[in-house]
Amino acid sequence: MSFLSTLFPAYAEIFLLVMVSAILIVDLFLTNPNKTVTYALVQLTLLGCSMITVSTHQHGVVYLFHNMFVDDLMSDVLKMLSYLSVSMMLVYSRNYLMVRGLFTGEFMALTLFALLGMMVMISASHFLTLYLGLELLSLSLYAMVALQRDSAIATEAAMKYFILGALASGLLLYGMSMFYGATGTLEVAAVSDAITHGVPNKALLVFGLVFVVSGLAFKLGAVPFHMWVPDVYHGAPTAMTMLIGTAPKLAAFAFVMRILVEGLQPLMVHWSGMLVILAVLSIAVGNITAIAQTNLKRMLAYSTISHMGFLLLGVLSGGIDGYGAAMFYAAVYVLMSLGGFGMIMLLSREGFEADTLNDYKGLNQRSPWLAFVMLLLMFSMAGVPPMVGFYAKFSVLSAVVNAGHIPLAVIAVLFSLIGAFYYLRIVKLMYFDAPESHVPISIQPDSGLLISMNGLAVLALGIMPGTFMSVCAVAVQQSLLLH
Amino acid sequence: MSFDTLVFYLLAALTVFAALRVITARNPVHAALFLVLAFFSTAGIWMLLEAEFLAITLVLVYVGAVMVLFLFVVMMLDINLVQLREGFWRWFPFGVVLAAIMVFEMVWVLGSRQTVETGAQVAKHAADYSNTKELGRLIYTEYVYPFELAAVVLLVAIVAAIALSLRHRRDSKSQDVAKQVAVRREDRVRIVSVPSGKKAGPGIED
Amino acid sequence: MSNMQNLYLLVPMAPLVGAIAAGLFGNMLGRTWTHRITILMVAVSFLASLRIFQDVLDGHTFNGTVYQWMTSGDTRFEVGFLIDRLSVMMMLVVTFVSLMVHIYTIGYMRDDPGYQRFFSYISLFTFSMLMLVMANNFMQLFFGWEAVGLVSYLLIGFWYTRETAIYANLKAFLVNRVGDFGFLLGIGLVLMVFGTLDYAAVFATAQNHAHDMAPIPGVSWNLMTAICILLFIGAMGKSAQFPLHVWLPDSMEGPTPISALIHAATMVTAGIFMVARMSPLFELSDTALSFVMIIGAITALFMGFLGIIQNDIKRVVAYSTLSQLGYMTVALGASAYSVAVFHLMTHAFFKALLFLAAGSVIIAMHHDQDIRNMGGLKKYMPITWITSLIGSLALIGTPFLSGFYSKDSIIEAVGLSHLPGSGFAYFAVVAGVFVTAFYSFRMYFLVFHGEERFGKAHHAAHDAHDDAHAQHDEHHGLAPGQKPHETPWVVWLPLVLLAIPSVLIGYVTIDPVLFGGFFRDAIYVAEHHQAMAELKGKFHGAAAMALHGLATLPFWLALGGVATAWFFYMKRPDIPAAIKQRFSLVYAILERKYGFDEFNDWFFAGGARDASRFLWQFSDVKLIDGLMVNGSARLVGMFSGVLRRLQSGYIYHYAFAMLIGVFVLLTIRTWFE
Repeated sequence: MSFLSTLFPAYAEIFLLVMVSAILIVDLFLTNPNKTVTYALVQLTLLGCSMITVSTHQHGVVYLFHNMFVDDLMSDVLKMLSYLSVSMMLVYSRNYLMVRGLFTGEFMALTLFALLGMMVMISASHFLTLYLGLELLSLSLYAMVALQRDSAIATEAAMKYFILGALASGLLLYGMSMFYGATGTLEVAAVSDAITHGVPNKALLVFGLVFVVSGLAFKLGAVPFHMWVPDVYHGAPTAMTMLIGTAPKLAAFAFVMRILVEGLQPLMVHWSGMLVILAVLSIAVGNITAIAQTNLKRMLAYSTISHMGFLLLGVLSGGIDGYGAAMFYAAVYVLMSLGGFGMIMLLSREGFEADTLNDYKGLNQRSPWLAFVMLLLMFSMAGVPPMVGFYAKFSVLSAVVNAGHIPLAVIAVLFSLIGAFYYLRIVKLMYFDAPESHVPISIQPDSGLLISMNGLAVLALGIMPGTFMSVCAVAVQQSLLLH
Repeated sequence: MSFDTLVFYLLAALTVFAALRVITARNPVHAALFLVLAFFSTAGIWMLLEAEFLAITLVLVYVGAVMVLFLFVVMMLDINLVQLREGFWRWFPFGVVLAAIMVFEMVWVLGSRQTVETGAQVAKHAADYSNTKELGRLIYTEYVYPFELAAVVLLVAIVAAIALSLRHRRDSKSQDVAKQVAVRREDRVRIVSVPSGKKAGPGIED
Repeated sequence: MSNMQNLYLLVPMAPLVGAIAAGLFGNMLGRTWTHRITILMVAVSFLASLRIFQDVLDGHTFNGTVYQWMTSGDTRFEVGFLIDRLSVMMMLVVTFVSLMVHIYTIGYMRDDPGYQRFFSYISLFTFSMLMLVMANNFMQLFFGWEAVGLVSYLLIGFWYTRETAIYANLKAFLVNRVGDFGFLLGIGLVLMVFGTLDYAAVFATAQNHAHDMAPIPGVSWNLMTAICILLFIGAMGKSAQFPLHVWLPDSMEGPTPISALIHAATMVTAGIFMVARMSPLFELSDTALSFVMIIGAITALFMGFLGIIQNDIKRVVAYSTLSQLGYMTVALGASAYSVAVFHLMTHAFFKALLFLAAGSVIIAMHHDQDIRNMGGLKKYMPITWITSLIGSLALIGTPFLSGFYSKDSIIEAVGLSHLPGSGFAYFAVVAGVFVTAFYSFRMYFLVFHGEERFGKAHHAAHDAHDDAHAQHDEHHGLAPGQKPHETPWVVWLPLVLLAIPSVLIGYVTIDPVLFGGFFRDAIYVAEHHQAMAELKGKFHGAAAMALHGLATLPFWLALGGVATAWFFYMKRPDIPAAIKQRFSLVYAILERKYGFDEFNDWFFAGGARDASRFLWQFSDVKLIDGLMVNGSARLVGMFSGVLRRLQSGYIYHYAFAMLIGVFVLLTIRTWFE
């Protein structure tokens, strides 16, 4: 077997890197201000990646690059979802960015670099690659937030994101160095082995754990490491907000799974206790603060915080049930967020951002179909059956209950009820208030079609969640049990 | 206490002091210079750990290149540190208390006899062991994947830096030779036939 | 998935596609394409059912999961099909009658603005009913159960601008809710005891629980009795059994095609079907069977009486439906499940026929439904006349026609039952024969024979008791001098197609269905319930049964009923009036339908209103709104404001918050572990 063919589990990453380099160069020679060719190349790259990921999938868990890279069902499923999410994000944001002069080759290249970072994180089985993937992702995101240079608010957001992100990376690295000190290795599986079989210093491990969990919490945006989320979501151009708020959450989920579940499973007693605090605070603060927001992007930011709390609840419940539910929740959250931010971009036009709640007043009179799609999305986020958001919450809660954390489930439900208020307020504004503006809504056919499909998918998946839910459960099971 | 340990504590104390001064110095140039000091003392600690290559790289790259560049920037920009530090002293006592407790906790955990005894041990090598060669070998074999990734991170940094700072200014004056050569007469000269008037335009009348 | 499984899936899905097409894209498709698509889809469904029927006759039954919806703990919620002889027969009946009704609707609803909506509803109904009968588990059964209820609700209120229609659908909804409550409790009890919702699993272990006590604290009931009676309460709601029958006559506010499809032929038989399907459970409790039989007997006889005094053509048919449902229920109680299902089938054909014929008459009369304004229509509407006559004869049990076989078998089976209450039930079903014959032919004579009363000064369109809520402004009637004429082919064709099975189906199928063990494992009869076995012993072929039927009491009672009707309404119309005068008390009781509506209005509706007013004024306004909702909203708002202020915008605040987070985690870990 030649050397190249041994690399086949990483073909998707290699292909992506080659393509993004090519796109960077090709873009320099294209003068079309609409960047049609670049855009088409990017979408083709995503398509190619997904085809490669599907065709190189194989049963079981495969390690590569001296156990630094792992390919299993969970990574393949998460990668596919990431491609889909990035591709959808590009469709939604194309027109929005074009009228703002931000639809450049650099934007698309950075998007693909961010995707590469996510893929590296998803497939990492070594603390070093986990960290490098995270940095690759974060660096691209910092730059993208700052791309709109003449907007003071975007620059400020980028600055905050960058500095706090650096702080979080520092915490994470510090924690990882403690693991290295205690176990002498950075390999995820080897760390797990060392803890189970050796007699390393528990106190040192737990000490490192605190910092690692803090770093993870920052990336997820869990309280009290959440302060950047609203400012960045609000300040960044909506397309970048959408990118930050969607696919990276899948990567962050993988990150949590790789470090906490695969690497530090023996310390579960310790980290699940920390996650309880983070999850409860996130759900409480996220839902309560969202009520006071008048800006939709800020509101969605707080809603993200509470959703991440739910995701953590799934993880801390443990077991195939819990991890499967968390993965399902992450994917569902991504789908709903794509729709929510997509709606903001759809209703925005040149020089106008449809990001305050007042912009949604009377939407039903201006465009009944969009209002209906938004209603589906809001209901789903609020967890109203039969939308998929309900099922996601339900599966997490049943995992929590099965794990014996009844009070946690009760708290989560109570705060979700409070949370339902602000989602339903949007529905109320859309259907029962008079519109403030009567500017006709013009929608590009591609993004219009996509948002319809997005909204209907939220409904359809809610009615028939079984298949996807079992995919998540099987993916988690295969990647965990075969270690 | 062996000599090594004594040197370590000296260097460590110096690092902490320098780091503290970085954030407390009123003059940004001083702050940058304290950072240089912190790097130097860290390089010293690495030397103690027999990681000569890393120590030298730290000095060469960070002190020699990065920090010098940084100093240039600091000197060129007029940053009002006082304004940036607004509220600093208000929160200072609270921060100090918090930091003190955290330091105490860290000492509690890391300083315990158990930690010292059970931690992974650093391998000892012969005197002719080449740190640099080993690092080179590892980077291109076992660590080739993270090495490549680091390269991608740098690429992203370059792309980001260019995307953020390159600005096509409309008011900047520059010459386009190709355009000048390709120019034709019609582009520049317009021949207007002015009918010779029977009467001159209205003259100046008093 | 095998070919047959795809076919199973096709049966309910085709009408669903039709319903979606008509419902969402109806305006785009236009009227013609809407009915073409929906009819095509139902026809596909019917043909697929036929193919499955053939397959099942070859011995291929199916019980399996098609889709797993979700799991909660150990309980799986699935969509699955149970295809056996019972369900395939129901599928055939449902799709066939539905197809007829679809075609008929083209003519009946021709001028209605809600044309596409109507097609969407009836296709949706067909889908729901098929899901109900094909279910292999209680959850899907419940889904279908509620879905048909929903569509029925939508269709009764189809003309939603009429106040009576709104009242009627509200009533249907509320009464069904009472039944569903029992049904849901029954399903819950099944889940609690058996730990599964799957039919096969439940039936397989039912025997083990035969002597258990119900896990209801403080009550020592036999478990099976509790389950069966709770389930049967659901059936009482859906199949309009006494005392939950009150909604069915009012449901006639809906357009006639759905009265035929839903409120006569299919949906109301869901309860009968369900009990037959649950035969392995019901067989374990004699108490429940007795209960079923007595309820059925009361319905069969007393609802028949009400048919006698109705003047609205559809209401007469509606009360006859109630009475016939009572017959089926009695048969269930006598453990003659196959007879009940057999009657269900024959009844579906001739009752759909009678309803559609009534609709045809209504079209011809320009939406005048009062039979006192008709008469002599035989001359003008020959096809409607002859098909109505066939339907009526089948209904009263004329030998050789389909109704005779099923009804006579019921009477025989009840006579052979030894359960407590069977004596009363026997009396009720036999007496019911006379009543049925009387009101059926009263209507028949008044509509088709005698003096032509249309086009004259109308009777008050409605009886006094209806005036409170009936304002049928839309009922025009014929103008003076105008003559009715036969309806278009889309209306009479279904009549003819339904008349054929109304005549033949009993003769052809009684032998295999009742005595040839047609249902095999689908229906279970305990050994000590002998009625069916004894009945089989007496049976010597369909023709012999019919000939023997000529000499039995029911036949002569039916003949007597017809004769009396003829004498009263054709020969001496003064007699009914005299009787009405003489027995005014009885008449008043019947006219008030035994006072059920008044009682319900006064006790349930009024009582609920008073209780609600109390709850509203005290609990809701003061306690919940004042203290809990507004109070907690204010509290949340306050917190929200505070938290919002923490988001100051300063980076060092944010970094500080992160460090505090690290600090808290660290402290908890190092100190409290």
